[in-house]
Amino acid sequence: MRLEINKNIIALPLVIIALTLLVGYFEPAFLTVDSAIAVLRRMATIGIMAVGMTFVIMTAGIDLSVGPTLALSGLVSYFTLVSGMPVPVAILAGMASGIAVGAINGIIIAVGKLPAIIVTLGMLSIVRGTALLIGGPTLHQISGHESYSFIGSGALLGLPVSIWIFLFIAAIGIFIQQVTSYGFQISTLGDNPEASHLSGRRTRLLIFSTYVICGCCAAIAGIIDSSQVYTASANFGEFGTELDVISAVILGGASLFGGKAYVINTVFGVLFLGIINSGLNILDVPIESQLMFKGTLIVIALGFTSLSRNSKS
Amino acid sequence: MAFFKIPNLVIILLTTVIFTIFAFTADRFLTLANIENILTGYSFLAIIAIGQSLTIMARGIDLSVGSTVALAAMVLFDATMIFELPGVFAILIALVAATAAGALNGLLIVYLRLQPFVATLATLAAYRGIVYAISGRQLYPELPTKAVTDPWIRWLGDFFDVERALGLGDFISLPWIPISFFILLIYAIAIGLLLGRTRWGLNLRTYGGSPEAAHLAGLKVNRLVISVYALCGFSAGLAGIILVGRFTTATEALGSGMELTAITAAVIGGTRLQGGIGGVTGPVLGAFLLGIILIGLTLLEISQFYQQILTGGILIAAIGYDRLIEKRKAV
Repeated sequence: MRLEINKNIIALPLVIIALTLLVGYFEPAFLTVDSAIAVLRRMATIGIMAVGMTFVIMTAGIDLSVGPTLALSGLVSYFTLVSGMPVPVAILAGMASGIAVGAINGIIIAVGKLPAIIVTLGMLSIVRGTALLIGGPTLHQISGHESYSFIGSGALLGLPVSIWIFLFIAAIGIFIQQVTSYGFQISTLGDNPEASHLSGRRTRLLIFSTYVICGCCAAIAGIIDSSQVYTASANFGEFGTELDVISAVILGGASLFGGKAYVINTVFGVLFLGIINSGLNILDVPIESQLMFKGTLIVIALGFTSLSRNSKS
Repeated sequence: MAFFKIPNLVIILLTTVIFTIFAFTADRFLTLANIENILTGYSFLAIIAIGQSLTIMARGIDLSVGSTVALAAMVLFDATMIFELPGVFAILIALVAATAAGALNGLLIVYLRLQPFVATLATLAAYRGIVYAISGRQLYPELPTKAVTDPWIRWLGDFFDVERALGLGDFISLPWIPISFFILLIYAIAIGLLLGRTRWGLNLRTYGGSPEAAHLAGLKVNRLVISVYALCGFSAGLAGIILVGRFTTATEALGSGMELTAITAAVIGGTRLQGGIGGVTGPVLGAFLLGIILIGLTLLEISQFYQQILTGGILIAAIGYDRLIEKRKAV
């Protein structure tokens, strides 16, 4: 067990607590268990995608196509359900669609050695177009499938199922990153791709695998999303979803230039974003200004992380 | 004139081939009205693509151009409809706003040391938020149905009748050329000169080729990068005011997704993602090539969703091709 202490693991929770208290000062209702659960529930899908994105970013990559992938997997699950298949098959089909998108990203980036940002920007358009082709611009209502709706709307031991899934995936992510040799290889790959390649690691396979993980996470988020609102639509995961996901990872201290990152910090990054989102809501900031505030806050937060990192090196 | 020379013959060849294919397969493709359509529909995009190629030459990227287009458009709309400023001033203010937005991107990248795509992804959201917040259409209930009447602004969306100007109306029929196309020509020449004939252009190429070398050579790198993003913002602003002239109004969602097409046009046009190499003819040709393909497909009644898939595919293919050339050179 290599559990190094990192700076962010102390700093970020402190910031989160301070922010929570600040919002709570203006609106005491924010400091209740119900409200905390609501914050988590809203962030569950972003959080799941952020866990996957952490691995991609560790290899100095990026995946901008997570938003449309979320929409695609919801639609694929919906159509599988409608065709009379049982719920587990629908879930697997949805996940398969996300894995397929991730695999395409991964092959082009790892084998073709093309820049991830441009490839996934292109895929963003391709996957959205595909989703629209499959589902059209309309909403598809999912009804009469209790066990499917349970994923997004059910509760276990007082916690919504979507939060359980987020916690489960975060736990797996933390385990993979901290304990397994795969996690170690990914972080050394990001630190120094040359050395990693020379030391005989299968770098292409490693890079490829991170996009598959990321696509799979986006698909799981898509399934939760569609079951939460009983609806699948090609327009879910609108532009800006990837901003939230990437911000969460970078707020957690991961460097876009690759290298060691901590999934646990990403989880804190997700919480930080969640508190900003819900805080702005509960303080009645108009939707238009929220977009502005969020952009600004993210820039400031990222600026601090990047400056502190630069001053250290 | 190195910066007006054709970046690669392949793209011209490709454009000609695709143009010919559509001319034979799509009924109304080779009509005057359609040529006008392509010129109107893609001149403003070519302007954005020129700005985008500058940021790519400086080893960056600007994802916020779509929001900047909307910002300039909304500032123009507010200035002329709410404050009733004369068109020239309104246009100037809108361009200043867009340039400032671009410069802010540059400041974030330089002083907060953010990765260009993260900084501009965040401002993409922030600028769009500002557009909603200042939207005159939402603040004043009577404005959404009113059209911009200022002659200066309307002129931007106007057409120029070549035949009549040349007195040839009786002999041949030529397409009406949109004013935006002339703006594009002037702008492209100006940027071309800036790149090819000034110290600034030389510095930009040096920086793009090797940021380290530029720094060691004592170039004022920070100022250079900020000016590049400011110019990219200005380009987006220019496109924004042209669109207001054409639609006679500004919507909040204007320009969303435009960053993808602008980047695609720049990359198809041979702007190297490794920095340093690019010009103005490339992105302009790239924009029109994209226009010919998308409008041709529309005329063939191919679903808009396929076009979305195709745009993404073209982008990936273009950088794949770019990488292939790079490799062949290295061997």
